[in-house]
Amino acid sequence: MKPHDALDRAALVLGVVSIASALFVFTSGELEVVRVQVAGVVVALVLGLLAIAAGWLESRTLIFAAGVGFLVAAGVQLGLLARGSGGFLGGNASTFSLWLGLGFGLIAIGMVPRPEPEEEIAPEDQNASVIAPSTDG
Amino acid sequence: MAGTDYAAGTDYPTGTDLTADADADYAAGADVDYTADTDRPARAVAFLPSRIDRALIAMVRIGVALLWLQNLSWKTPPDFGQGDPPGGLYLSTTYAVSHEVLHPYAWLVERLVLPNFTFFAWMVLLVEASLGAFLLVGLATRFWALVGIAQTVVIMLSVVNSPNEWIWSYLLMLLVHAALFATAAGRYGGLDGVLRPEWQSSRSWLARLLVRAS
Repeated sequence: MKPHDALDRAALVLGVVSIASALFVFTSGELEVVRVQVAGVVVALVLGLLAIAAGWLESRTLIFAAGVGFLVAAGVQLGLLARGSGGFLGGNASTFSLWLGLGFGLIAIGMVPRPEPEEEIAPEDQNASVIAPSTDG
Repeated sequence: MAGTDYAAGTDYPTGTDLTADADADYAAGADVDYTADTDRPARAVAFLPSRIDRALIAMVRIGVALLWLQNLSWKTPPDFGQGDPPGGLYLSTTYAVSHEVLHPYAWLVERLVLPNFTFFAWMVLLVEASLGAFLLVGLATRFWALVGIAQTVVIMLSVVNSPNEWIWSYLLMLLVHAALFATAAGRYGGLDGVLRPEWQSSRSWLARLLVRAS
């Protein structure tokens, strides 16, 4: 297992969490843990799919971009709340909180420095793997 | 040294191989934080060797995060319930004065918080939104567990004497945050568990801070 597999998997899981959060569009009352309405579903699906793709493709840049996307969405939601309503995103402070967590989480993953692909297996290591071990005593 | 076997919940005698369960998880490729409880270079025993224990701790952390998330829904800017009649966060805050719990706190709320209510309400919203956000993904969990304890104390001092409140709700909130802190809950199914090795190998001040916060 490569050392950064866990990071990519974490980004993928956060994407799945975002997509799962879209299900709150069907809830109300005590079960409405997070308020998600139509525009919020679009944000959750688009950015969630981006995070999943980023994890799948092991792309640090895409993971970071998805995180920034969530933070922008959270910021817009907070701005709309400050003006007195959920606005076109239709969320509330719980929506802001969810997107804040996903944003900071993905950015934290995306900020981890990673070796370039050619650095991951050094040339001498590649040679070592194909050289038969000596049987000389 | 006798201790507790966290997997089985029993004491074990001196000389027991403490790493047995952890080694089994390691062989299975589990994400076990062997450096969780020691700064020594030798590999340490995982604090929660059992997968079930780790899953339960993750569930508790996520459950607490959802508690904070859902309770943001009635904290509605920009007025936060100021008006006639008062409601929401403003009404809850006035309980600190009308149903006093601790006189110095009631005095502080009356003289400082209520006259500047909008500012403090925004602070409450941002702190509780951050609690929900960071506990949900398990990032800097131990720090946010401490913030959760502090925020719970503030809520207790405001509302615990008001009608229809049950003090054990708030004591349980305190205890569950203490448990999140004690178990470093973000290391199990959270980002702390994934990112901590990277932070530990970094020399930056932010990474060192995050190692302590996780």
